[in-house]
Amino acid sequence: MERRDILAERPLEKGRGFMPGVSVNPARVLFTAGLTGRNLDGSVAAGGMAPQTHRALERLHAVLAKAGASFDGAIKQLVYVTDLEAYNAVGRAERAKFLGSARPASTGLVVRRLADPALLIEVELVVDLGGSPGGKPLLEKYNAESHPGDFHQGVIVNGGRLLYLAGQVANNPDGSVAGVGDWRRQAEKVYENIGHVLRAAGATPASAVKETTWVLSIDSWRQHGSPVRRAFYNGDYPASTLVEIPGLARPEFLVEIEVIAAVA
Amino acid sequence: MPFSTIATPEAKPVANYKMGTRMEGGRLLYISGQVAWDAGGNLVGKGDVRAQARQTFENLRHVLRAAGGDLTDLMKITTYITKIEDFPAVAEARSEVFRGELPASTLIVVRSLFNPDFLIEVEGVAAV
Repeated sequence: MERRDILAERPLEKGRGFMPGVSVNPARVLFTAGLTGRNLDGSVAAGGMAPQTHRALERLHAVLAKAGASFDGAIKQLVYVTDLEAYNAVGRAERAKFLGSARPASTGLVVRRLADPALLIEVELVVDLGGSPGGKPLLEKYNAESHPGDFHQGVIVNGGRLLYLAGQVANNPDGSVAGVGDWRRQAEKVYENIGHVLRAAGATPASAVKETTWVLSIDSWRQHGSPVRRAFYNGDYPASTLVEIPGLARPEFLVEIEVIAAVA
Repeated sequence: MPFSTIATPEAKPVANYKMGTRMEGGRLLYISGQVAWDAGGNLVGKGDVRAQARQTFENLRHVLRAAGGDLTDLMKITTYITKIEDFPAVAEARSEVFRGELPASTLIVVRSLFNPDFLIEVEGVAAV
């Protein structure tokens, strides 16, 4: 009753090292933050896509190891790159060195910018840890290395029920957009909406497991959105990914945030 | 359908989708980002986002069925497109497939997908 690979023999995914679908009994599941090719001192690994991919996966390996897992347990991967040609030329092979025969369900996206303009790749994973939650706290949030960011590198969900929020935008209940052109107001409204949905599901900000923040400008988000986010989580951060993209569903939207949470 | 739908009057969706879903049992299914490949790996509808969207949702359904489920078991989908002007056609194709309400949903315009000819990619999480 553990992991089931769906359509494992389909040749397309087989050749590229991923699986069309993967299902598990969600007894213990690890969500990682999106990790990049940063060194311990915060600098970006020199030499471009290959060293950055290597470093990102080395860091993910450490996050997984801390949870007693390996890449074989990965059930989902999301790869964000800013340079597809470089990824195809050298990044893909570097990734394969770590993943080996592991075949998670997979999505790959070319985005406009990652947290630092020098970053070329970011990878996040969902990992099946197996075993039984037996007596462990619902959420274990941890870091595998010290870093200054407002996020945890890994969050383990022990049992409970996973909660998936739609991507939240700055909309009012009447359908109008709050804070047109105003980053701070949109950030406030988005987190207000996230708070409402979490509460309606019996959860709180501390219940958040994984957050993906899609913004039209990382610089503007850092300046105006991050303070709102910090106040919302009050130190109890989920695993997070921040990505800059060229557009959202309506031209007025500056930010959209997806949250996965867990409740007992 | 081993999940429940979360709704709240204070925060409403901007379109016909669920604001949140909570898994209540079953198995957690992660589905890879689906694109408009046919069974032979050929792109269906080069330059035609509507045709690509139909094939993409067909592929999504195919994976769900292979896992013993169907589109109604989806808790969350994320739709990635490369041009916002494609959204109306994608939304139409999507509502042909999802009768009634969509799962919890996110729409993102990315710079490109992993093949420059792909105009849409959709990933999903289901409880089956």
